[in-house]
Parts: sequence; C-alpha cells; structure tokens
Amino acid sequence: MIIQGTKRTADVREKADVVIVGTGAGGGTLGAYLSDRGWNVVMLEKGGFFRAEDFTQLEHHAMAEFNGRRGLDATADNAVFLNYAEAVGGCTVHYWGDSFRTPHDRLARWRTEHGIDWMTPSELDPHFEAIEQDLGIHTTPENLLNENNRLVRAGCEALGIEGAPPPTARVGCIGCGWTQFGCAYNAKTSQLITTIPRISRAGGRIYSDARADRILVEQGRAVGVEGVLLRRGTAETLARIRVEADHVVLAGGALGTAELLLRSLPEEPAVGRRFYLNPHFFVWADFGRAIDNVSGIPCAYVVHGFREVRRAQNGGYAGGGYIMLTNHQSPGIAAAMLSSLGSEHTDRMKRWHQLGSVMSVIDETHPGQVFLGKDGLRRTRFNVKGVDQLKAIDFLKQASRIFLAAGAREVWIPDVYGTVIRNEADIENRIRLRSVQPNAQFCAGSHLVGTAPIGSDAGDSFAGPSGEAHRVRGLYVADGAALPGSVSVDPSETIMGAARWIAASLHDRAGRAGA
Amino acid sequence: MEPERYAAPHPIESGQLDRRGFLRQATGGTVAIAVASILPAGCTADYPQSEGDGVELASLSVKEYAVVRAAAEAMLEGVPVAPAEVATAIDRELAAVGDPVRSDLKSVLRLLEHLTMLSGHRRTFTELQPAERLSYLRGWATSRLSLRRGAYQAIRGFVHYFAWNRPETRQLTGFSGPLREHVPVTLARSVDYGEVR
Repeated sequence: MIIQGTKRTADVREKADVVIVGTGAGGGTLGAYLSDRGWNVVMLEKGGFFRAEDFTQLEHHAMAEFNGRRGLDATADNAVFLNYAEAVGGCTVHYWGDSFRTPHDRLARWRTEHGIDWMTPSELDPHFEAIEQDLGIHTTPENLLNENNRLVRAGCEALGIEGAPPPTARVGCIGCGWTQFGCAYNAKTSQLITTIPRISRAGGRIYSDARADRILVEQGRAVGVEGVLLRRGTAETLARIRVEADHVVLAGGALGTAELLLRSLPEEPAVGRRFYLNPHFFVWADFGRAIDNVSGIPCAYVVHGFREVRRAQNGGYAGGGYIMLTNHQSPGIAAAMLSSLGSEHTDRMKRWHQLGSVMSVIDETHPGQVFLGKDGLRRTRFNVKGVDQLKAIDFLKQASRIFLAAGAREVWIPDVYGTVIRNEADIENRIRLRSVQPNAQFCAGSHLVGTAPIGSDAGDSFAGPSGEAHRVRGLYVADGAALPGSVSVDPSETIMGAARWIAASLHDRAGRAGA
Repeated sequence: MEPERYAAPHPIESGQLDRRGFLRQATGGTVAIAVASILPAGCTADYPQSEGDGVELASLSVKEYAVVRAAAEAMLEGVPVAPAEVATAIDRELAAVGDPVRSDLKSVLRLLEHLTMLSGHRRTFTELQPAERLSYLRGWATSRLSLRRGAYQAIRGFVHYFAWNRPETRQLTGFSGPLREHVPVTLARSVDYGEVR
C-alpha cells in the first residue's frame, strides 16, 4: 500500500518486522528482498509519490518537485551543486540508468582498507545478476545514441581512447531524452516501477511525504523510528508518525542517512566525515551546426580510458582518475552551468542546439563532510583540491581533445574567464588551475556516498561489514552512505548489490523478523 | 591498477555554521559577515521596485527583490523575459525551499548591493546603470576571493536558471520543448501499485 503523507492529518503508529528509511536504490532493493520472503515491511520516504503521468519533462517541475531542496542545494561555499532526489523511488527516479557492477579494483580496496570480506566478485555477482534480471539491464542499444554520443565516440576512436555505451536500466525506452526528469513512459526501470509496487502489493506500507526525525533506541538496540508527515510543496507538518520495528534500516541516501544519524546519534564518530560525490566538471563544444543532443539517452556513451590514475616515473600524478559521461542539459540548467554574463551568455545560449557536452566523474581522493550547523540545518563542505584539481584539469584537456577530434568548431571551458579552445595550443596554454578553483566554474556532485560507512574498524566506520551499526544493535545502513568510498562509476548498481547482500545476510541471520 | 589511498577523513566539525554559513565558508567571510550584519534592511521608499511591479513578496524584502531585479535587468541582454518575472519567480522559489538556500541568497544580495564601494562606485548596485552592474559583476566573477566568486555564481545561477527555463526563451535556444508536448505518451508498461491512499 502506498500511503501519501500529504493527504493525512491524523497521527500514525505502525509495527513492522523492519522499518526502512528511504525508498531508492538501497531501500527499494532491500525492501523487496525482505518483502518477497514474507517480512512485514514499512518504508518512510521524505519525498512525494509520483507516477508516470506526473512527469511533465519540464525542468522546473522536476527540480522543484522531486530534487532535494528543490534542486537548489549546494555545499556551504556554493562551490559544488548537489544533485539528489527525494521521491518514492529515490535517486533512481532521476538517474540516467547507467548500471555498472562495482569495479574489481574498488572491491579489492574495500576489502583491504576497510575489512569488508564479502566485497568479492564471487559474493556479489549473484546479487548483481538478480538485479540486472529484475531491472532488464542491458547494453545501451545503438538507436538510443544521439548525435552528441556518436560524436564523442568518433572523437575517442580517432584518438584511440577507450569508451563504450553503458549498461542501462530500461525496457522499451523510446529515447525521449528526459529521463532525468522522471520517466513519463514507465520505461526506465527505477525502483518506482519495479521494487516499490512489488513491496506495496505484498502488503508493505510505503509512506511518502514522511520525514524520519529520530531513531528510537532502547538499551542499545534500535526499536523504531519517529518522524512527521509533511504537506508536499510546503513541508508543513501535518501529523506525527511512529514505527516500531525489530530492525531499522537507514537508506535515505548519503545526505538523508547522515542527517538522521547526526540528529539521533550525535556521538557517532564516523558519520558525515567522508562525503564523496565524484565531482562533475563540464565541457561544452560548439559544432557550428545543429546537432541532436536531446533525444536518446543523455548518457549513452562512457569514456573509460582515463579511469585509472597514471603515474610519472617519480610517482607523481600524470593523468587520469576519472571517467567521462556524455551529457545534455535542458536550457535552464545549461544556462546556470555557463558562467558568462550579458550578451556573451545570451549568444552562447543561442547556440544551445548546436552544443555537445561531456561531464567528468572524478574519482576523488579528498572527501568532504556532512554536518549540522548551529541553526540545526544540514550542511555540507566539499573542496576539490590537491590531486583532485589535477584530475579536473586533465579532464578538461582530454575532453577538449575529444571534441576537437570530433569536429567541434570550438570548445568551451565554462569558467568565469570565458576560456575557449580551438586547437592543441589552446589546450596547453589556456586550461589552467584557475579554471578549477572553487566557484570558477559550475561543478556538481550526484554520486553521493560514504557518510555512514561500513567497515571493520569501529573507530573509522559507522557499521560493521554486515551493515549493522557497531554500537546500536538492530540498526542497519544499506544505501550510498554505507559505501566506504567513491565507486568511480555510477554507484547505483553497487548500492543495489550491497543492499541486496545486506538484506540476504539479515534474512539468513534473523529468519523472518520477530521470529 | 594501484588505487590511490583515501585522504584522511575530516575531523568532526559540527556546529560551525550559523545562518550566514555561506559567507563564513569563503575567504573574506568574517569581514563580510560583519558588513552584512550592519547593512540597513531598506524600505519601500528606497526600493519601490516590487510595489511598482505589483508583486506581493513571499520571501524577499523590498530591497532584496530590487537587487535581484537589477541583476536580472543587467544580465539578461536580449532575453525575452522581464526582469520582474525572474525576480518574482526567485522570490516564490525561495519561499518554498526555505533555509539554508534562502538565507544564503539573502546574504549574497545584501553584499552585492552594498559592496560597490570596494569596486570604486559611490552608488549602490541598484543605483548603477545596467552596464556598470555588469562590469561590477564581472569583477566579482574573477575575484581572487572565493567569497565573491561564490556570491557571483549564486546570483548568476539563480537569474539564468529562472530566466532560461521559461518557454519564451525557446525561440532563442532552438529548444522545441519536451517530447510529450508533441507526441502523446504511450506507456511501456502499466504499473500496479496496489492500494494508493
């Protein structure tokens, strides 16, 4: 049953085997696994419940209705725009559907540095296979590559750079191009149309517009969650909700989970201290003619050739440490990304229909932080610094080369200096550190992970390898917050795989909850 | 691949930010907070723009509205969207989103209005001519102080986003609108949610 909190005025009390805070990649996957096996599941989702007919494909509707803080959130110094969803289905409602298994080198790091023994391909692959089957994940077909995607591929092929269409989570996609504003066709296989309806039909109660404010803990054990039901659009409190459960699972995303923990368990040492977001810098290319960068899947080609860091003979950084995603943006968002002003900005926007674009997914070394300010509001801090700035510069250079090789008339580094690239000499001379200083250009983060990490060291992680909190029994974390660090690719399938592993572990140990 | 080591996590630093957190985070922030705290709020006699536009403000003061409107007037050259419409949209959006987004942008607007003297102007931002405002904003854009660049990106981003997401701009960008405005939606599958209340 889906229960929209925005339509209720009476207080609610619930009892369940498990209460899950969050309904996205982690919460939806874990909830479906347990619900399928007879668990009595209650889910709380801060955002609203939307269906295909609600998705207008208009940017200002999407940003305001189901993006966190109405699509206007940023780090405390405004240097990094934070892109995350708050809706039933979580970030899978607005994600592009890129679905990568966790890179093996990342699993190895998490085993060796964080003591998570089950982070092995053999342990996780069965879960990935089940998820891929469930969501119809397959390699993006050629007909969903728009012209921007094909141009980037051509540039990569001309330069001998590795890239490929990504595995994608959609079935029957017509390539409308606006997947990030919610799929109006029920083709993108988000949690909204896969696990959530399954949980609902099986008797689970999924509350939308329900903000969890406090974890209930008695004698060192989590026994439930308290929160409020909100009026959608205004966040006015309508009623209170209290769910008592044998198990509490946090899956509200790296920001939501961290915020709830900071409020409920402020003494936890590892919460919010490692905030990864895979900084996204952007490069735009003017091809001097109209190109189709609207239809298809916005990201239907991924440049993998720079994922690994290259080292110089002296051990210093020599390049890489990121992947590139093809990118398109609607006019309003594109306008906000271009740092120019006045007639120059208007002139650039007049060329919106002839722009190609790519964005970086930087595998950052330096994480940020999530914390509560004196005013009690959740804040974030993230600085692209040190070697991460070098990675950003390398991205700007390599992306420029790819677009020039693809025939772009000029390439724009969208910084406050109006940097334009027309040839290799420009790349070497004009792309400099100043372009990647805070607020010198638009930078975003959408792969938010790491704020309540699992690991074997109770001083350096919030939860043990099983996902259960070190210091509170019956409290689990099973979303992006649980990951120990950057995945280096879209983390959604990693989050789903980890959540499914944690669900299986919980089920194996507890059997049917309450029994 | 030899993975890079993680950097050390941040020490716990909760409780560092108040409502002017945005300013405090940037270079020069302490001075800016001191300045912002003594700036006058302004009144309708000094800032008649919202009254002239017939706007009932939801979150901005008359002065803050005037600053946003003046910024939009300068920034949106050749864009078929009235500055008043952009300023009104921002006022409504800030009311809906609340703090800290609202309080941060309000801080930016107060500084923008009154720090003109640092750029050699004797008049406030709203009193400058549009070309002077652009020049002033460009100075903030390329400032060595991250505070100024951050403030610039904040006001610029808001104005540009709330101007260019409007359908009137499609004739300039060549954006024909999303597909469902042209082609009726056919669902790839129907979804049974069970009971929905």
